[in-house]
Amino acid sequence: MKVKIWGARGSVPSPGPETVRYGGNTSCVQVTLDDGTLLILDAGTGIRGMGIALAAEAARVHIIVTHLHLDHIQGLMFFAPAFRSESEITIWGPASPEASLRDRIARYISAPLSPVEVRELPCEVAFRDCPETEWEIGTAHLRAASVTHRGPTLGYRITADDCSLAYIPDHEPAIGASLENDEPDWISGFDLARGASLLVHDCQYTDAEYADHVGWGHSGLSDTLTFARRTEVERLLLFHHDPMHSDDFLDTFYGSALEGWAERGGDPVALELATERREIELSAATDPLGSR
Amino acid sequence: MSQKPIELILARNLLSSLTTPAFLVDDHGALVFYNDAAATLVGRRFEERGQMAASDWTEQFGPADPEGRPVSWEDLPLTKALFAGRAIHSKMHLKVLDGTVHEIEVSALPIFATGGTRGAMAIFWPVEDGPQAGGPK
Ligand SMILES: [Zn+2]
Ligand SMILES: [Zn+2]
Repeated sequence: MKVKIWGARGSVPSPGPETVRYGGNTSCVQVTLDDGTLLILDAGTGIRGMGIALAAEAARVHIIVTHLHLDHIQGLMFFAPAFRSESEITIWGPASPEASLRDRIARYISAPLSPVEVRELPCEVAFRDCPETEWEIGTAHLRAASVTHRGPTLGYRITADDCSLAYIPDHEPAIGASLENDEPDWISGFDLARGASLLVHDCQYTDAEYADHVGWGHSGLSDTLTFARRTEVERLLLFHHDPMHSDDFLDTFYGSALEGWAERGGDPVALELATERREIELSAATDPLGSR
Repeated sequence: MSQKPIELILARNLLSSLTTPAFLVDDHGALVFYNDAAATLVGRRFEERGQMAASDWTEQFGPADPEGRPVSWEDLPLTKALFAGRAIHSKMHLKVLDGTVHEIEVSALPIFATGGTRGAMAIFWPVEDGPQAGGPK
């Protein structure tokens, strides 16, 4: 299983000289399985670059969105394969009693916000509510579960090629809970992350910033580290960087993260800050350094 | 034990911060949480007891009739809310730790989500005590 980060920024695209290293594009992660199955996690602005890079023959893609906040769907309209008639795109996302996934996404892909409508897309596009259970796409086994954020939000676990990826980009498991002491079954997202080869997790705030943002739906550093240690993931990728966090700031932040990680008994090679275009190869016996 | 659905996790978070006694059951009617305010009525914190099957908790500290006899599980507001899928408000009696029977009011409501019924919660007001601590004066 190959995991490639195309956007790791939270909330709003943040391009500029001060974010050029970690990147300013919003959430988008490409997952390529050994059999070629292509899964795209979230469709933030990072999906634009990926759509350009994708070979034209990659006609069948699955876009799996965690929720419909703009930073997770904004790139949909700029995804090149959507404008090719031979493409078959399936968009998976959380169900809502209020409207279908198609109708909710169409609020963005429609006038006056968009020059095109969903029905005008030349590709074949299908919308599917994610079952809150388990299902298969190609050789991937997927699991979705609602997690604490603002509004209906899913986290995912993808198991394939003898390894597992947990993707929970927008998540505040610490709200009203004790990540250190509560039983696992009472911690949001615990089962999704448990023992994953790689956990990609919200880490928008420093601890000091989090104190002023409790209830905003995102995690502070200590909570993310504690969550990852308690769920015993093999590797942790800190994700959904705050738009205010420059590259220099994030370098320092990473230093604090490493300290906190070590205090909790974590292996430093298993902790990283998500960086745009970073590729990580997961295999059955994950070698934390086995990446490029 | 399996992962609790997010709606129960959030409900527990809310109830744990209330000073009003409250119970939370899962979709099978098992008692999965009660808060510290309820613990003062039933005599022990939830953390010391842990999760209880419907029959167990009903027998141990479920509501009673005016003479202190247990009300059957099917007749509890929580059960009705869970299985009838609607809010229930009623007056009942509760036999507390010291054996005395108190008249209480109960509001129970089911917890629905896109995935189906998740459980139900019940909040109690002792009739004789007036407003709860921290409540409206
Ligand atoms: Zn987000
Ligand atoms: Zn969000």
